[in-house]
Amino acid sequence: MSPSYDILPVTLVTGFLGSGKSTLLADLLHGDAAKDTAVLINEFGEVGLDHLLVGEVNARTVLLDNGCVCCSIRGELKEALATLFSQRARGDLPPFSRVVLETTGLATPAPIMATLLADPVIRSHYALNATVTVVDALNAAQQRARHPEWLAQVSAADRLVISKSDLADPASVAALARTLAELNPAAEVVIRASASETGDILFAPVISTDLTRRLGRVQRELASGAAFPGFDSATSAEPATECNGPRDEGSYRTWSRDPASLAHRRAMSSLAAPDRPASEDIVSFCMQIDKPIDWQVFTIWFTMLLNRHGAKILRVKGLLSIAGCAQPAVLHAVQHLVHPVLHLDAWPDAQRRSTLVFITEGLARDSVEASYARFRQRLEEPDH
Amino acid sequence: MCGMCGLLGGGNHWSNTIPPVKGANARSQRLIHVALANRVLASYRLKLDDFHGQSFVLSSPTGASELVGDFGQVWRVAEQMLGRSLDPLTLFDVDEATPSPTPPSGDRATATTGHRFADNQSAS
Repeated sequence: MSPSYDILPVTLVTGFLGSGKSTLLADLLHGDAAKDTAVLINEFGEVGLDHLLVGEVNARTVLLDNGCVCCSIRGELKEALATLFSQRARGDLPPFSRVVLETTGLATPAPIMATLLADPVIRSHYALNATVTVVDALNAAQQRARHPEWLAQVSAADRLVISKSDLADPASVAALARTLAELNPAAEVVIRASASETGDILFAPVISTDLTRRLGRVQRELASGAAFPGFDSATSAEPATECNGPRDEGSYRTWSRDPASLAHRRAMSSLAAPDRPASEDIVSFCMQIDKPIDWQVFTIWFTMLLNRHGAKILRVKGLLSIAGCAQPAVLHAVQHLVHPVLHLDAWPDAQRRSTLVFITEGLARDSVEASYARFRQRLEEPDH
Repeated sequence: MCGMCGLLGGGNHWSNTIPPVKGANARSQRLIHVALANRVLASYRLKLDDFHGQSFVLSSPTGASELVGDFGQVWRVAEQMLGRSLDPLTLFDVDEATPSPTPPSGDRATATTGHRFADNQSAS
């Protein structure tokens, strides 16, 4: 097949206004990691490209000396992506192999994901690889309290990047890292320390390794019946003892909190923030299913759930053990949108149990689990 | 889209994924899917049929029918036909499944299938 018709992976970079998206992308564009990459940004002026330019395709598209194609988005995203692919196919642009897409700070990621996942033209040429959300270490609490887009951006993330950590005190950065890990247990939290790690932050795989490792740990700890240290939501400003400290993973530090602890201790409790609006009722919980699932029964239940409650389901991510199938399947949904189901090569460990992390707004764990149990009981029994 | 007949359908919907199960094929899996969906819909006197392996046809007892592309749309169209919500969080609930001592005369679900959960659901 011609490279012109490859399906190109897209990394979505989101984050609230002033969170540091452009700084992250500027670091990418100035380094070698941007080779073979097309970067769609909001404004050229914000990333300072003048000294990197080696050519100009048109007023909105330039070529950089590191082999990167950089485009500014005007108008419709769909049109921008389609035009980019056409130029690549015609040979007007170098045959880039991946795309980085910057959203505006006030955008919620779901409509952009809908374009990538559902638009018949775009989905034929692009596939959403990962959503990276940049979080401002200095202003996260205020943005969370005042702007619902902040929470939508955090919930949709596969990787959360804390920026401006050098400007904030370490204790507040650690507290923010812990809060983010609670809000989105399925995401990896990265405290950005230097420009050299930008390529890893944007392009390191999030499905095949991170998710299996993360959920594998959940499964092992749930299976062992390990007791998770308590966590008082009223005192969430201080790091909890079960929060894993920052650790070196490759070239950047990560900070994660076991989702399993949410399943045990905090499944039904709303997450606290100092000045959080009372209307927020975000819960994260981990749903485990011991018996391999019947795929058809699960899809009937899950499509019904998303149809009626999709707006309340900010995120679902996890591994499914399907009856008769040796490989785990990755389920990944943001509100009504479900990514194409992937089948991994192998389970992360011997605990081959379906594990789904839910982030919901006003949807209780008990009712979700009970609903699925009733569907299984009713639909998997022999027909009357 | 079906390459043989040009029918537009929901072939790319995630629910159409065929797990790598030995002996499974797309056609049989789709028919099983439809049969299971009908166990939900029958209590509402709705019926789902496969349409050329590409779409579905959802039909009501009044003769209304609509072509739907995938399971993401089946439930939305079913709610439109019924004029009320289909909430999986209350569907098959024990309380709703328990027959009342004197069922209302319009208890169609009881009369047709024995699944007593349909008519008095509250909209969410």
